[in-house]
Amino acid sequence: MDYARFVRLRRPVWDVFERRLAASRRRRRDEGYEELEEMALRYRQVLHDHALAASRFPGTAAAGRLRSLALEGTRRLTGEGRERRGGLLHFFLRTFPRAFQRQLGVTGLALALFLLASLWGLVLAAARPALGLTILGPQAVQGLAEGRLWTNSLVTTVPPALSSSGIATNNLSVALMAWSGGVLAGLVPLYVILLNGLMLGAIVGVTLHYSMAGELLEFISAHGPLEITLVLVSAAAGLSLGRALVAAGDRPRALAVRDAGREALAVLLGCLPWFVVLALVEVLVSPSPELPVVLKLTVGLALESLFLALALRPVPAEPNP
Amino acid sequence: MAAIRHESILGLDNIRLDLPVASVGSRSLAALLDYLILMALALGWILLIVIAIAPLLPAWVPVFAIVGWFLLEWGYFAGFEIATGGRTVGKMALALRVVTAEGGSPGTGALLSRNLVRSLDLLFGVPLMALDPLSRRLGDRLAGTLVVHDRGREAAPVLGRVPPGWGPRELAAVESFLARARTLEDTAGTWAMADRILDRIRRDAPELLAGVDARRDPVAALRQALQVEEG
Repeated sequence: MDYARFVRLRRPVWDVFERRLAASRRRRRDEGYEELEEMALRYRQVLHDHALAASRFPGTAAAGRLRSLALEGTRRLTGEGRERRGGLLHFFLRTFPRAFQRQLGVTGLALALFLLASLWGLVLAAARPALGLTILGPQAVQGLAEGRLWTNSLVTTVPPALSSSGIATNNLSVALMAWSGGVLAGLVPLYVILLNGLMLGAIVGVTLHYSMAGELLEFISAHGPLEITLVLVSAAAGLSLGRALVAAGDRPRALAVRDAGREALAVLLGCLPWFVVLALVEVLVSPSPELPVVLKLTVGLALESLFLALALRPVPAEPNP
Repeated sequence: MAAIRHESILGLDNIRLDLPVASVGSRSLAALLDYLILMALALGWILLIVIAIAPLLPAWVPVFAIVGWFLLEWGYFAGFEIATGGRTVGKMALALRVVTAEGGSPGTGALLSRNLVRSLDLLFGVPLMALDPLSRRLGDRLAGTLVVHDRGREAAPVLGRVPPGWGPRELAAVESFLARARTLEDTAGTWAMADRILDRIRRDAPELLAGVDARRDPVAALRQALQVEEG
């Protein structure tokens, strides 16, 4: 077929598709079934014509027009832009638990590494009490020697709103970095897990040395369990990303990383709101001397149980599309 | 201006689809614009806090500053791309758009993912984009996205008649010349070029010039001989 004949015969189809695209751009509501079917038919025709023009008449105006139509048609009619939206409730009750439960193995590994690192930190601090000076600084160690925890300053010197916003954004940043660092073969989440474990173990060891471990455990009883869980779960999601990158199995690596990324994102998004709740607890409940230890422990266990109950709730398998 | 690179992928029904992939240069320029805007927004936010919030709630000033910066840092790119279907202000200025690896529109999850690893891409993004034929940074690989040129199409002259034996290079050259002829200031040069094309038509298919008067305006004569339409 020569160029002029091709343009003459096929141009009406392109014109109709272009008008439909323009109407679709103007319209705010979704297309009805019949409109969509008509558009899909025209899109297929345009896509075929684009492929023909690109190979037989490259560089011509008709090839340029068809490429532009095919691109916009592809963007409007395919992809994930119109994926099912179930709202926040659907996400927290279905999508998040499903994703969380699928990465339980990696979360278990993260927990094991964290416990090992904590133990190592505890042993280190017990063997070398001077380590406390390096980790906590001279002021905090001086306070411990005088029977005061450095955490008191969280509420005595800084307004609660500032403390909680600082804590929330800091914890969120740690979780986001642990997650995103997963794309570097999981090295960043591994570092976050080991460092946090080592620090916690070492700090408990130092406070044991000054007979202040009870006060420290009281301080962290309300927010600590869930905070550690959330950091570990976010880091485990990062580890899942790293695993997909390093060991993609028999699937194309790009596809394995993309799918792991979606699941890991659901896990991360499910954790983020809890960091805000925790920041409030850490500022308002944890350092308060008026509140009894039992109440703080109850708050800590209740938060942890609530999170785990939500994350581990039985969810039916996702229906095949 | 360098020509836009087109990478062919297999679209619906395994049919070829050419994507005008944005290269590292245009993407870096768009990112630079976005970071400048981000800085301006951060400064604006601080000014707003100082002017509007400090006199009323002085204790809350650092809180607003911390939370505002956190939201801008993590939310600017993802927020814009989700709200506009894959474009930030920088991308709009350079007519770029994020699409899926298949050319479709990316979902919220993909747009969030590609922007959550942005801080790492500040280190690794440029070399990765320079080495990849599809110019993908870490975030694009994670989310399965690409950035493409998204310029609106302008009507261009299309030939309604073609001398036998003319290939796509001749067709593209004549169409391109006719599109530019309207804006060329050198009338004599433009007419000389049109005359050369008319000579070629005279040689290859003289019947197309029947009834065409090429003496007064060769460009108009060329359009008449090839039955050019705008489309």
